[in-house]
Amino acid sequence: MSELFLTRIFEAPRELVYQAFVDPDQLSQWFGPVGWSVPRDTVQIDARPGGYQRFVMVNDADPAMTSPASGVLTELIPNELLVATEEVTTPDGTYTMTLRLEFHDEDGKTRLVLRQGPFDDTVEGQAREGWMSSFTKLDALLAR
Amino acid sequence: VATDRLSVIFAALADPTRRAILARLAEGDANVTELAEPFAISLPAISRHLKVLEQAGLIARSRNAQWRSSSLRAAPLREATAWMEGYRQFWDENLNRLDAHLKRRLREQEEQQT
Repeated sequence: MSELFLTRIFEAPRELVYQAFVDPDQLSQWFGPVGWSVPRDTVQIDARPGGYQRFVMVNDADPAMTSPASGVLTELIPNELLVATEEVTTPDGTYTMTLRLEFHDEDGKTRLVLRQGPFDDTVEGQAREGWMSSFTKLDALLAR
Repeated sequence: VATDRLSVIFAALADPTRRAILARLAEGDANVTELAEPFAISLPAISRHLKVLEQAGLIARSRNAQWRSSSLRAAPLREATAWMEGYRQFWDENLNRLDAHLKRRLREQEEQQT
């Protein structure tokens, strides 16, 4: 299993950076990759532990192309931490992807630390994970 | 890469038994009996796992019914890595926009103060 790890410094106090993620007006003004927008009326945020963050990304060139996002805010410390989980549905069931955002103050600037995962990546990674879990099963079996 | 295709791949990879099967196949081709060895599950259950892996394009199975060996296909796993890279690019662009947004907000705040 592997996770995406990104860190970036913003020349703004962390209150402002944090607000950009939890204030619906703010989020709709910047969120989405180039060529995509988040219409304000699609954004619903309940910014407290156990709350939610829902919105829809709409393709600027083809508004029929949309990408909805719906996360549960599992951990939340104002101006410090946001953890959201999203159920990813597949034909074989669902699994949970976690997005963790840390807001660190660095002399009035903000260091954002982003982790997202899990992503299965290399054969080697899966091999390790797979073997570990089968060894765990084997241990359990031998302990009977 | 189409999302639904990747969903099938990740669904296949989500199961620890199937990952262990892939790990075994990374060492060389094997038939159902050999693949079942490390697990306390039945041959039909292993066959079901192999079917899921085959549908995801993660393994290929020989047509020979007597010795139906499976072999690992690496290409979809590279797609899975590409999937994560897609997210990286998504966040890179996203955070560029956040940066621009924060600069706008700070300018607005300064203008209000003066």
